[in-house]
Amino acid sequence: MPLTRRQFLKWAGATGVGAVVFNGCRVPDHEIAVQSPVEMPEDLVTGRDNYYATAAQLGTASEGLLVRVMEGRAKKIEGNPDHPVNTGKHGIRAEALLQALYHPDRIKRPLLRIAKGGPFRRITWQEGIERLTAILQAREPGQTLIATPPLRGRIADVARGFAEGSGARLLGFDPLGGDQVVREAARRLYGQTAQPDFDIARAAYVLNFGADFLGTWGNPTRYARGYGEFRQGARRSRGKLTHIGARYSVTAAAADRWVYAPPGSEGLIAMAVANAVLDGGDLPDADAARALTGGRGAAALQAFAPSRVAAQTGVSEDVIREIARELAEYKPALIIGGGPAAAQANGLFNMTAVYALNALAGSVNRPGGLIFNPPPRSQEVPAASLREWRQALTDMRSGDVTAVLARDANLVHGLPGALDATGALRSVDTIVSFSAFLDETAEMADLILPCSTPLEEWGTDEPNPGPGYATIGFQQPAVNAYHDTLSFGDALLRAAGELGVAALPWENMREATRALAQELHEQRRGSVVQPTFAEFWKRTLERGGWWDTGATADASRPALPQLPAQAPGVPQSADASRYPYFLAAFEGVGVGAGQYAHLPWAQSAPDPITTAAWGTWVELNPHTADELGVKNNDIVIVESATGRTLRAPVYISPAAPPQVAAIPMGQGHRAFTGYAARRGANPLDIMEPAEEAETGAFAWGATRVRISATNRRNVVPKLEGIEPARQLHGEELIFTHTPGRKSEQDH
Amino acid sequence: MATRAQTQPKPPAHKWGMVIDLDRCTGCQACVIACQAENNVPINDEKSFLDGRVIEWIRVERYWEGDFPDVKARFLPVLCQHCDNAPCESVCPVYATYHNNEGLNVQVYNRCVGTRFCGNNCPYHARLFNYWEPVWPEDLRNQLNPDVTVRTRGIMEKCSFCIQRIRRATRGGKKVEDQAFNPACVQACPTDAMTFGDLLNEDSRVSRMWEDERAYRVLEALGTNPSVKYLKQVDADA
Repeated sequence: MPLTRRQFLKWAGATGVGAVVFNGCRVPDHEIAVQSPVEMPEDLVTGRDNYYATAAQLGTASEGLLVRVMEGRAKKIEGNPDHPVNTGKHGIRAEALLQALYHPDRIKRPLLRIAKGGPFRRITWQEGIERLTAILQAREPGQTLIATPPLRGRIADVARGFAEGSGARLLGFDPLGGDQVVREAARRLYGQTAQPDFDIARAAYVLNFGADFLGTWGNPTRYARGYGEFRQGARRSRGKLTHIGARYSVTAAAADRWVYAPPGSEGLIAMAVANAVLDGGDLPDADAARALTGGRGAAALQAFAPSRVAAQTGVSEDVIREIARELAEYKPALIIGGGPAAAQANGLFNMTAVYALNALAGSVNRPGGLIFNPPPRSQEVPAASLREWRQALTDMRSGDVTAVLARDANLVHGLPGALDATGALRSVDTIVSFSAFLDETAEMADLILPCSTPLEEWGTDEPNPGPGYATIGFQQPAVNAYHDTLSFGDALLRAAGELGVAALPWENMREATRALAQELHEQRRGSVVQPTFAEFWKRTLERGGWWDTGATADASRPALPQLPAQAPGVPQSADASRYPYFLAAFEGVGVGAGQYAHLPWAQSAPDPITTAAWGTWVELNPHTADELGVKNNDIVIVESATGRTLRAPVYISPAAPPQVAAIPMGQGHRAFTGYAARRGANPLDIMEPAEEAETGAFAWGATRVRISATNRRNVVPKLEGIEPARQLHGEELIFTHTPGRKSEQDH
Repeated sequence: MATRAQTQPKPPAHKWGMVIDLDRCTGCQACVIACQAENNVPINDEKSFLDGRVIEWIRVERYWEGDFPDVKARFLPVLCQHCDNAPCESVCPVYATYHNNEGLNVQVYNRCVGTRFCGNNCPYHARLFNYWEPVWPEDLRNQLNPDVTVRTRGIMEKCSFCIQRIRRATRGGKKVEDQAFNPACVQACPTDAMTFGDLLNEDSRVSRMWEDERAYRVLEALGTNPSVKYLKQVDADA
């Protein structure tokens, strides 16, 4: 008799009751054994897996990785426990490298556009390289521009050598300018060319200005490693974290104290803290205090008296003095700054003031403080400033640059809309793209030579910041090329062979990597020392790299410069009366500023603060929303002084300051695969193309906006709503522990 | 014919448990994505968020306290708690979920008929129903973990403590050193907020943390006796 749906449900209901009544009855063992998904039948042979150690550069971050491979396919990525930067841990973007490798929308082979604006046709790599060399040979030095993300390790050597040998200009592109301003502050204060590491694990106190170092800034996996120890490491007392910034970020949420400060005021606050530390007299480093103030102590920083700065910034004098007391009390204290605090017209002043506090706190190149890194062996290709990119676009329009070679440098999406990168690229004769995906810039290309993904490539990565000593991650292909692609380095080396570039004697990146390994082998020091090069090569690849804890930075440093007596006068951004809100744009935890928007895991990782995913939203304070007459999910128009606008739904956040509109970056792609295209809005598009006054870096934190309501709605995709936003009274799930109140079980 | 003594179940070799230190957790989502990669969890697209049908074997819940400027976001990673008195087990009409002798709440996918009684009865909302057939583009299927069943439409799924890793480590009755393996979420967690191990091993890290003065179980009053404990976040102002 066939089982009907009605009979089944009746039976299921009865069995459900029975299951409750006879809860103690056991399931027959043989059924469980057979049905279990993990105990395979004896005749079923499971495959063998292999693990390959490799390394990846993920924007400003570096991670050493282990890739699990079965039957030629990469299955899982995990952190390499041996790698000194991430010591076995990894973040979302590293995990999602698998999806880059097996992405359904990858460009699978070289393509040539038949005519301007026409369709592409398939070509061979041989033809592609010949066309590339012809483009370079037909141009005078300087007429070709190579745009790449900031490069480190062996690929930086190859790209530099290629640019010099072929007469091309090489510019690194990072939508947020990398950490240019922080580096310049470290250079001026401490004479460091490499970015310093932060010894968070051993710090007793961390004072942070703006940088979301636990979320997206710098090398979050490394910093999070330190943070875990900072909080609950064995044989130490719990560290204290203060975060100063305009948006309630992951780092702000982790902090013991979050202090709202208007964007651009971070330097004033740091100087006021310095003033209060000097005034208190309890100086951890009196020599540094003398040098920074010309021997005048607090009097040299009179312009930054806490009361005065409190009036200017709205941060109370009590808070400033309390932070100063903590800096003197907790040892060692570490002071960090970056992100939006550096991306201001006065960014260098801010960062100089912030990082000078490390000298006052006696934390420079000491455990628990700022740790200097030795200069990298391969000179990196840093992110160029907005000033340089502005000039490059001008050169494109004027005809001084007639060919652009772009590799994962999405100028169309990543540069402020007011600069009209699309228009500048249109005036270029030839665009060659090396991108693995058809992003907005690759869409404009005449020739596409698709590059492979990090899991298919040879190379090295030198983390910057490193862990305080020489570290070179070795990158090896965990799998064979999945499509008909070449690594960027291999493509350049093949073209260099055709062009006869003498500085690049290697045939491919494997050879270039082996040549570097040979140099390391001959040093006979570091993590791998072997009698023969063959053994050295094998062991280095097995371990995922080479590092030398004895190769630290030169400890000598120049005399500290005197701190400025006055804050620099900087051009104001838009009129505050017309544009009353600060635009606090922030990187998506997965998608970044848009570079990872094509990866579904990066898209679907909920923003930790709002729990939102797959879109763009505008975080507003409840009172601000009331004033604007908008509710959750109402679409608002956000307009900057450039006249450009974006539309996005509102997320009303209890943590949003009333004068701030916080908007995630990463979306607003017109192209860049089916997972990214036509989704959300791009705050970079409406930003004022403002520059940091001295370095010319992009001041992406300096835009003001106005907001107007529409009568349209669009629901923000988020976990909140599926899960409650606040704990239910009487059913709290999260309890806190107050030191000294051991017996209390709740709150 | 086997004697009664021979058919007695062996004493358990392990009792797997987890401790999550909320004072280390930053809510970064690394555990969430690592779990999805390891366990063939379907891609949560925009629609799944809008429909409230997100499948995350571990999710990070965020709770607000207060309002600006005295505001605090607190995070709670929630996964199957592998309760010793699991309310989900007793209501399954087909024994698709049961408690094994190592403390795991096990889900047998090909017994499940999708009544969703277990999901309804789980106070932690840790059980997730496949309303649709999970679909991956052909290329992305290359990444799927061959050790983990791809679930079909109409059945329940949930955290298994990465049972495939447990089986691999203990196959053939091998003795397992503490921290010799970890579930994907624990392995990824950048702050080391999560600790997994054998509670029968008194020297294991998880056993030591199990007795920490900050340890508590979520919804302890229900008496579900979870195998997951949380360590309270330290808050000087609480």
